[in-house]
This record gives sequence, structure tokens and C-alpha cells, in this order.
Amino acid sequence: MKGYRKYFLNKLGWFLITLVCAFILNFILPRLMPGDPVAAIVSRMAQGLSDARGVQAIYQQYTELFGTNRPMHEQFFIYMRNVLQGDFGFSFSQYPRTVADALKSSILWTIALQFPAIIVGWLIGNTLGALAAYLKGGFDKVIMPVSIFVSNFPAFGMAIILMVIFGVTLEWFPTSGGYGFDLIPEFSWNFIRSVIIHYQLPFWSIVLIAIGGQAIGMRSMSIYELNADYVKYARFMGIKDRKIIGYVFRNAMLPQITGLALSIGTMVGGALVAEIVFSYPGLGYTILNGVMGQDYPLISATTLIITIMVLSANFIIEILYGVIDPRIKAAQAD
Amino acid sequence: MLRNKLMAVLGAIVVVSMVLAGCTTPTPETIIQTVEVEKVVEKTVEVEKIVEKEVEKIVEVQVTAEAEEGALPRQETLYFNGQQWGAVVGWNPYSSSNNNAMAIGQGDNARVIMFETPYLYNMLDGQQYPLLADGPWSWNADMTEITFKIKDAAKWSDGTPVTAEDVAYTWEAHVKYNTPTAASYIDYVDAIEAVDEKTVVIKAKLNEEGNAVNPLTVAAYVSSNYVMQKAWTQTLEERVGGDATEFGADPAEDVVYSGPYHKFFTDDTKAVYVRDDNYWGQDASMWGKLPAPKYLAHTIFKDNAAGSVALAKGEVDVSQQFNSNVNLLWESYGLPISTYLPEAPYHIGASLPTAWYNLNAYGLDQVAVRKAIAIAVDYPTIIANAMTNQSATFDQVPRSLMNPTEGEQALYDHDAVKDLQWAGNDIEGANKLLDEAGIVDTDGDGWREYNGQKLSYIATCPNGWSDWQAAIEVVAAAGKEIGIDITTNYPEWSVYQTVVTKSDAPLPEGYDIFMMGTNGAGPTQPWARVRQILSSEWIGLPSNWSGNYGGYNNPEADALIQAIPSETDPDKLKEMYTELVRIYLTDVPSFTLMYRPGVFHTVNETVWTNFPHQDDGTEPPVPPMDCTDGWGIACLYNIEPVNP
Amino acid sequence: MVGFSIFVVLLLIVFIYPLIIKDAPLAIIARGTFFPPGIYVSAFDSINTPKYTLNLPGAAVKRIASKLSDDDRLAMKEWLVIDGLAEDEIDIEDTVLLLEQWMNRYDPTKRVAGMTNARRNYFIRLNNSLQGLLSIEDISIAVRNAETGDLEEKALITTSDYVNVNQVANVRFLPLGTDNFGRDTLTELIAAARVSLQIGFVAGIIATLIGLTLGLLSGYIGGLVDDIIMFFTNLFTVIPSFVLLILISFSIGQERRGATTVAVVIGFTSWVWTARAVRAQVVSLRNRDHVNLSKLSGHSIVYIILNDILPYIASYVVMALILQISAGILAEAGLSILGLGPRTTDVPTLGLMMNWAMIYQAHVLGKWWAYLPVLITIALITFSMNLMNTGLDQVFNPALRD
Repeated sequence: MKGYRKYFLNKLGWFLITLVCAFILNFILPRLMPGDPVAAIVSRMAQGLSDARGVQAIYQQYTELFGTNRPMHEQFFIYMRNVLQGDFGFSFSQYPRTVADALKSSILWTIALQFPAIIVGWLIGNTLGALAAYLKGGFDKVIMPVSIFVSNFPAFGMAIILMVIFGVTLEWFPTSGGYGFDLIPEFSWNFIRSVIIHYQLPFWSIVLIAIGGQAIGMRSMSIYELNADYVKYARFMGIKDRKIIGYVFRNAMLPQITGLALSIGTMVGGALVAEIVFSYPGLGYTILNGVMGQDYPLISATTLIITIMVLSANFIIEILYGVIDPRIKAAQAD
Repeated sequence: MLRNKLMAVLGAIVVVSMVLAGCTTPTPETIIQTVEVEKVVEKTVEVEKIVEKEVEKIVEVQVTAEAEEGALPRQETLYFNGQQWGAVVGWNPYSSSNNNAMAIGQGDNARVIMFETPYLYNMLDGQQYPLLADGPWSWNADMTEITFKIKDAAKWSDGTPVTAEDVAYTWEAHVKYNTPTAASYIDYVDAIEAVDEKTVVIKAKLNEEGNAVNPLTVAAYVSSNYVMQKAWTQTLEERVGGDATEFGADPAEDVVYSGPYHKFFTDDTKAVYVRDDNYWGQDASMWGKLPAPKYLAHTIFKDNAAGSVALAKGEVDVSQQFNSNVNLLWESYGLPISTYLPEAPYHIGASLPTAWYNLNAYGLDQVAVRKAIAIAVDYPTIIANAMTNQSATFDQVPRSLMNPTEGEQALYDHDAVKDLQWAGNDIEGANKLLDEAGIVDTDGDGWREYNGQKLSYIATCPNGWSDWQAAIEVVAAAGKEIGIDITTNYPEWSVYQTVVTKSDAPLPEGYDIFMMGTNGAGPTQPWARVRQILSSEWIGLPSNWSGNYGGYNNPEADALIQAIPSETDPDKLKEMYTELVRIYLTDVPSFTLMYRPGVFHTVNETVWTNFPHQDDGTEPPVPPMDCTDGWGIACLYNIEPVNP
Repeated sequence: MVGFSIFVVLLLIVFIYPLIIKDAPLAIIARGTFFPPGIYVSAFDSINTPKYTLNLPGAAVKRIASKLSDDDRLAMKEWLVIDGLAEDEIDIEDTVLLLEQWMNRYDPTKRVAGMTNARRNYFIRLNNSLQGLLSIEDISIAVRNAETGDLEEKALITTSDYVNVNQVANVRFLPLGTDNFGRDTLTELIAAARVSLQIGFVAGIIATLIGLTLGLLSGYIGGLVDDIIMFFTNLFTVIPSFVLLILISFSIGQERRGATTVAVVIGFTSWVWTARAVRAQVVSLRNRDHVNLSKLSGHSIVYIILNDILPYIASYVVMALILQISAGILAEAGLSILGLGPRTTDVPTLGLMMNWAMIYQAHVLGKWWAYLPVLITIALITFSMNLMNTGLDQVFNPALRD
């Protein structure tokens, strides 16, 4: 246990340091972008004002409000204090909407789309990969190239093709929106059913690609393991195949979990293409607009969320790893 | 050994997941918004609705009834797209930043579904028709005051009548809190007073001779700006404690209105407005009935393509988007989709997207260079490729300062400027011009030089405005043909607008030939557009959204522009306009690239029919303004369900 | 090997095609958008080309069918019935009779209750297209006399005149039609593939170099250096790379966003996993016997890294490079679709072509040639590279071979 504690503290330490640095970076990076967002907002608001003083006055007002006239470190401390209280500030591009408000509605949709898609893709992909490695022969020869091809399809390509085939031509699925265009959200069976139907195409456009990637990885892993010494030895000893497979796949599964953690961590921003092509409500589009509109608070807030999620996912996985696989701890002690 | 393998495995996994992550990096499409840079459309909506508490209760009951079903009844809902591109942020007409496109839109063709103006402008015949007002307005004898009455029937949503005091107080509030409306009119409107309960007098600002500075603009006020309820405005003022920024930023969920529709539901995916069945406008003195659709819903799409798909499927009835090759939807696919005109240009052009020259750039101070580039551009290709034929060609409507509508075209003498007009693609002529001016290729590198320095320019427009980008590409291609090096660049809109509107300093590099829109149709047009293109009064403004971004200065033109608003003799006016066109086509400080409708109006007749179309027999003719702007709102009273 | 051969074929096409077809890929050749794929014959020139008389059966029927589809016939019948003609008097198969009845009765100004505007316009269009449909009169081509202004007949074209396409002066084969700008899609596609490959290579090489160096250093030297480099790497992982990419692209602005710049930017933001993977490999190699031997022999760190460690991971690095290249191509396509890719007028790239096709709604309008070939090309490139990778994997790891 002593070794374990050392491992744990080491990981925790790095987690915290990375978190702090990432936080600072998240604040600085958007503000490094050239251009003055307040000027953009002000010129929009000051349309028609022929009085230079009037424009100046508005400009002053807004820089005061957004705090962009203060030096960077002051802005940072104000920002940090606000964030710790849960106040992410006003969104520049959607003023007077607050960042929290802008994010709140969309983040749910993104998570609801991404999380199941990642899990399902992971599960199906790994199963296929494992099967391909185990069964070999014809199954493998077909699965491999197909998986590679599908996993290499660019995400936007998959989304567009799915939409054109199933949405526009065959009309089996709707082509846009998170729910029926004539529905008002509420808890009714009608609404939920509509959400599910609208969910299909974006969901599958993500899953299909994920399956491909996972299948390849799992297959390689499984082949490594299947040819390991202990497997051969166990076979000679007469242990049933099924039991061996259990061990093999448990070993092969471990590294896949790292990948899963990473995917979950980055999922918040991941569905950008699906959202645009299918006009699906979600966070990715908000981020893009934020960048285009130089909306510092919005960008900082979203990157912060992503950062925290990735770090946490990583941290948890590494700890779990340490518990599950004694080899890792041993390696660390090297 | 095992560890080794594990590490390899780990590494491979990481590799693969990275590939995955890379593969799943989505890429959104650029949002295509051909947003016109017109001045903010301000509607003065005089809303006098007697919406008593009882009525509100009824409305609420209806709301719950719908909510139970969870769906908007298709036969009673009119769907829109192309106006709203993000979640609705507020309901405050005093603000210029509430992106509530359906409800708030003041200006020449004010959007009157929720807030109302005293008069409605009709771009097809140039007249103003009374809405909140009772009968036409009139000038006094020396054209310094406008008087009009408010209809007796006009009421606010809370049941109180709309009074002249509301009109007066709205203006006061604008002035006090320095809103953009105030900024636009403060130089021309002196005061607005309520003479009695129903009579409004607008006093124009006078110059030294005692004449109105700009009677045209004063006359435009009555159809461009909303009337807000005095009582509610005072509530708002109290709430913000007199702070001007707050005044504009307040989301105003409790706003009192006079129009037929108000908020039903808004979120990130749609904005829905519901009809108030006690709307005053059903009185015989106005429309005589309620507007046909019970709900107006606007689905929020991420980009034009998604919106077009929905239009094709019949999920959208009225589309304000630029739908590329829209005619294919009915020609090839046989869909019941149509535009106002059955053939090209499909829409009625109202504004003139223009390529402006930075007159301070090297070589662009030479008329020969400016004119050569302008006549060399292949306009037919711009119209066919960039606008997909949704614009009139310059053969059909020769270039001038006027838009293609009959009213404006009649205002200048076509024959007098015929030899100055060009249709484009005149490479020979352009080369000849440049050769004659002595601007030739002296060092044999293939590019012309002016006084020894190579002529090279950057043509630019905001990134993502697809039809403008396509047009700028054609402009750049013309340069090659005549030996002038023109390359393109597309900065983001947020950067572009800040640079172009800063007129108190010379434009920076990279903005030699840049695109901006012009005013569309309105009661002050074409004068306001001419002023926008030629007047030097905008030079030196730190935030110039008004025009003349290239810094053109011609005292002759200025004098004419000054004089037109007070001129009443139509023959004299024609002379003055013709002279201005002559100046414009001779000096070429900018050149029109295509014609663009004020709003794109494409309709799908799957559920609703009887939308405005050419020769539809309506009198006064209903303009294709997406059923919501100016006199175009009459469309809502004319449409009927296809299957009743 | 399959992957390798696909890739080589692609490369060959990409480099040989421009030598044969010398048209500038970005030249605007069409006035109008999205011309469908096909063979475009100059109508002007065919008038002056020698004519051959061919009497083909069914020519007249084909001529009529191209203008008057079955749907159109049914629509005409519908209109005639509304107009009051008895249904049994209408035979939609009898073209002559149908047309006669139509010509006699059709009135464009007639307003039918309940008929949508779109439908009414359809009938007007149909009517216009039917004018002279049955006529077998010779068509006369006339030229206006410059002096008198009169029309003078220049040529006479009969229904049995055919021209041989090979003899027409100007024929252009557009296998993939044109895009929204009016550019030849195939030529543009090949040029775009070349540019995208270039970008991918540059980005991939940069990313691999950075990742390799950092991985080697941190893996071998270990200790504080390792911790610092890993920390740095973690930071990069944690800040979403695409956001970083977007931010940087946006910041450098359009003027400076040439193809190479974009490649460099992509390279600098995607080295992370290469570094991690290399480090993992190096760590496992670190304690091998031959390395310890070298250490004992007193060789410098650089020597050890280059001679003892690098060769063992070379295979791995090559695979990583290939993956980086394909990821780079995808990243560029992604950026371009966002509108943050290289300038449109300089060079076409695969992502830019997709971008414009989407903007002009090619997928809604069914103009598949504007976006489908691009997608397939991207998929083929990355697919072939990954196949190559798997092949290499099998070469270096016999265990994976079947």
C-alpha cells in the first residue's frame, strides 16, 4: 500500500499543478487573439451616432463593464474570483446574455449526444475488434478493411452523407433540429419520441467512425495478447478456451480504457460538425461563434470546462489503473 | 518484457485514440449571412392594445391547451427562417443589441408583428399607409411641421388606448437615453408633441432660413420608428435608475406592445410568437379581421444549407435566406416553392452592394484606374455565379445610384447618362483607358505601373458572406486581364466592420477595394442612398456606419445632396438626380456589383397559399417582405390554408 | 500492400494530370453554378460543322418526351379538366390531340381557385416550353447584317441533321462538371488533392519531429526533464487542440494564412500523442542490455539516443508519421470547412472545396459532383495511408501477420 500511496500522491500533485496552469492558460489564450471585441460591440451599438464623443462614451461604458481596460493580471484575479463563485461573466457576442446562461442550455444536448455515442461506439468497436482477432479468417479479412475505411471517413463527410441519404433522399429521418420543428419542449411522450428520432443521424455519424477506430485498436491489442506466452502455456495446460479468453480480453481492454477516458474528456467540444450539419443544438457551435466573435468569457469558460473534464477523466483512469493493474505501479516505481 | 509489450500497446492505443480524436474533430460550416449593413431598422410601433386582465387569462388558457399537445398546430402556424440566427436575447426596442429579429426591426421597412409604427411604408409604390395613425399625415404650410392623428381603435396589450402622448414620450426617451434612433434623427427632428389626446405634431429642426433641415427624414420618421407606451417606458426608466446602458440592455420581458403577436416560447432552437385575439387591428378602421396564422414560428438554423433543406421539405413557409439556385427547387424538383417574380431575377432588387475604392490608396486617386477596373469586371458572371441569377443584370437595369424599382428608376433621365453606363467585361475599353492615361507596363513584368510603382491592390469582404466573396473573386480576376494585380483577402466580420467604419483615419492596407452594402428601399430613398455613397459629411467620423467609407469628396455633389430634401418640383428633382448619377459614373468612387433585394422572400405553398406575387391583384400591391415588414404585413391577412 | 498501391496511384494521378491538362485549376470557366458532368459541345461551332443526315427511328418520340414527361401530361389533363373539358375526351397518350386541346384552351391569366402560385407558374412554364414542340419545320439560323440591320439566313437545320462530335471545334469534357464558382471540378480536385497532401506532409513531418525529439529526450533522460516535458504535454492534451487550432488560425488572420502557414500551425498543435507514444517506447528500451553497455562504454547521451534507441523505434516512428500526415490532412479539411483554412484564391484545398459546396447548398440541390468526389478523395487518401500503416505494422510485428 505504501507504494500505492506514493503513486496516488504523485498523480494528485501533477493533476493540481496542471489544473492551475491550464486555468491560467485558458484565461490568457483567448485574450491573445488580435482585435478588440469591445470595439466590435461598440461599433454595432453606435450605429448612426455621428457624435464622436457619443461613441467614446459608449466605448468607455463597455470597457468598464467588461473590464477590458484593466491590466491583464488584474483582470485575471477578478476572473478567478468570479469563477470560484460560479459567475462566468457576460458573453460579449450574446450580450446581455450571461455565459452561464448561454452554456447551460447547450451543454446538456452535447453531453446527451456525445456520451452515449462514445460508449456505444467503444463497446461495439471493441467487441468487433476482439472477435476479429479471435475468429481470424474471413471475418477478420472483412472487418479490418471496412473498419479502417469507415474510421477514416472525415466526420463531416459521414454526417453529410448520412443526411443526404437518410434525410433528404429516403426521408427516413429528419434533417435538422434537436426535436420536431413544431414541438415545444415538455415532458410528453410525443416530445421524447421526437427527440429520439432527431437523435439518430447525428448519433450514428459519430458512432460509426468511433467503431472503426476502436475495432482496429482492439484487434491489434487482442492479437498481441493472444500470442503471449501465458496464453500458450495455459492452452498446453488444458485450461478451457473460454477462461483464457476472459483473461486475454481483460488484459487487452486496459489500454482501451485510456482512450475511452480521453474521448469522454474531450467530448464537450467534439460534436461540432454533427451540430452544424444537422442544426443540432449544442456546445460546439457556441464555441465556434465565440471564437469568431472574440468572446473571451465564453471561450475561456468552455475551454475551462473541457480542461477540467479531461483532467478529471485522466486522473480517475490513472488511479483506477493503479488499482486494477499492479504492473503500472511497479513500472512507476522504476 | 510484459511491460514492454504493455507500453507498446499503450502507445498504440494512445495513437489510435488520437487518430479517433482527430477523426472526430468536427468542422462546422461557416455561417453564411448576407447581412446587409443598413442602418438599424427602427419601427415606431404605436401599440394600443386593450389587453385587459381577462384577455390575458384567456390567452394563458390557450397557451396551456397547446402545451398539452406539445406541438404547434401546423395549419395555424407560419414558419420562417433566415432572420434569427441565435437565441433570442431580449424584447427591448430601445436597444440596438437585442437580436430579436422577428419582433424588433425599426427602419425603412419596419417589422410590425409585435411593435407598431404610425405608418407602414410600401416599397412597391413608395407610399406610406396608416397603421396606428388615422389617415395620411400632412405638412403645415411652410413644411416645418408634420401632423397626424392616432386611430381611436388603437390599443396597447394592457387595454389602455394608444395616445399621442405615447408617441411624444417615446421620442423623449430616445433622446434622453441616447439610443441609435435618437442618433439618426436628432439632427432633423426638433421635438414631437402631443397637441391633444390623439393628435401628434412633429417639429422639424430648422436651419437659419427657417426651413426644415431635412423634411424627407422627418417624413420618414413616422413609418420607421415604433411607438412605445409611456407608462411602460417610465417603468423601465425607474427600473434602471436612469442608467443609459442599462436602459438599452434590459431584456424587457414585461414590455407592453400594440401589435398582433407576442412571445409564446423561445429557446436555442426556435422563437415562437402567438397571436393576441384581442388585437385592436381587427377593428374595421384597420384590417377588419385578425391575421390568419395563430402562431409565427422561426426555427433557428445553424447555416443556410440546413434552412434550405427545411424549406424544401415544407417545414419552413417563408424563407429570408439566400437560397442558392432557388429556382431549381421548383423547376427540377417540382416543389410548390416560389418567389415574387416567377423568372429571374426572382426578387425585387432594393439595395446596391457596392465595391468601394479607398481613394487614398496609391493609384486609386486616378479616375482612369478606378474606371478601368470597374468596366473590366465580369458582372454577368457575378450575377450568374455569386447571386445565382437572383439579381437583375446591368443590361436589364443600367447602373446608376437607383435601385431597380420602378419608382426610383423614373427619377433620373436615362438617356442623358447612357454613354456613361457600362455593362462590364469591357477588357478592351479598360486597357484603352489605362493606356491613354499613360499607365502602362514599363518594366515588362506584366503589371502596369503608375509613376514607376506597380499597381497592386487587395480586394476584400467579410469572411463567410458567400455571395460577396464570390463576387470579389470575379473582381480580382478582372484585374489580371487588364494588368493590375488584385488579390483577395477575407477578414472576419468583427475585424472588418471595425476597420471599415473608422473614418477618422485613412484606411489601413488590405482595404483597397472593399465591399459594403447600401440602403434598400425606403421613404427617404434614393436620396439617402446617394448621400450614403457620395456625401463627404461622413469623413472624419470615428464610428461611421453611414457611408462614403472610401473618403470621396466632391463639393458639387454635396451641394446637390443638401438641396434635394427641400426640393418639391419633380422636374427639378429629376435634373438634380441625373446630375448626381452623371457625377457618380464619371468619378467612379465606387461601383455597384449587383442588385440585392431588401429581404429575400421565398415561400413554400404546402400549407399556406396566397402569398404576394407579381400581378396578384392586391391593391395597394403587397410587397414581398417576408410578410412582416412595412406594408408587407398585409400578407398575413391575405394568406389562407391550402387545405382548410 | 493494397494501401501502398492505392496511395501510389493517387500520387501518380496528382502529379501527372497537371502535365497533361494544363488549365489553371482556379480559372472560372463557367457563367452559372454547378454545371452537371457531361460533354459540352459548342453550339455555335456545331452550326458550322459539316452535317450528316441520319434517319433514326424514334427520334421524334425522344424529342417530344424530353420536353413533355408523363407528369407533364397528367398535369395538362388536370388543367383541361378544371377548364371544363370532359375527362373521357382527353387521351394523354395522343400527343397531337392533347397539344391541340391545350393550345386551344390554355389561358395563362386564368385564376383557378385553390391553385397555389407555384402551380400556376408551373403551367405557364409548361406552356412556354410546349410552343412549337411538334413542329418539324426546318430551323433557320440568321445573322444580322451589320449595315442593313436585317436578318439574313445563314444556315438551315433540319430534324435529320446530325454533327459528329469529333469534328466540332470546341468540345469540353467535364467529367465532374463545375462548382459554384464556375471552375472545372476535376482539375480543381486534383490540384486540391496535391495541396492537401503537401499540407499533410508538412504538418505531419513537423509534428513527428517535435514529438520524436521531445519523446526521446523525456524518455531517455528521465527525471526532471521527463517530468517537465510530460507536464508540458499534459497541458497540450488538456487544452482542446481544435480550439487551439481555431484560435491560432483566427489570430494569424487571413492575409498570412497561406497553405504552408496552415500546415505549420497544424503541425505545432498535433505533436502530443507522438511524443507520448515515443516516450513510452523509449522508457521500455532504456534498460535494455545494449543501452547499458553503451552507457558503460562512456558514449555520450546523444550518441546513445541516435545509435541505440532510435533504430529500435524507427518502425514505430514511421507508422506514427503516416498517421500524422493523414491526421494533418483531415485537420486542414476541418479548418477549411470552418472558414479558417488557407485563402480561397491562392490554392484550392479539399476542405475549401467542401466548404464552398456546402455554402452553395450543393447537397440540398442534389449536385453530388461538387462534394462527393472530394469526400471520396479524402477518404481514399487517409484510407490508403492507414492501410499502409497496418501493412507496415505487420511487417514489423510478425505476430500480427496471419
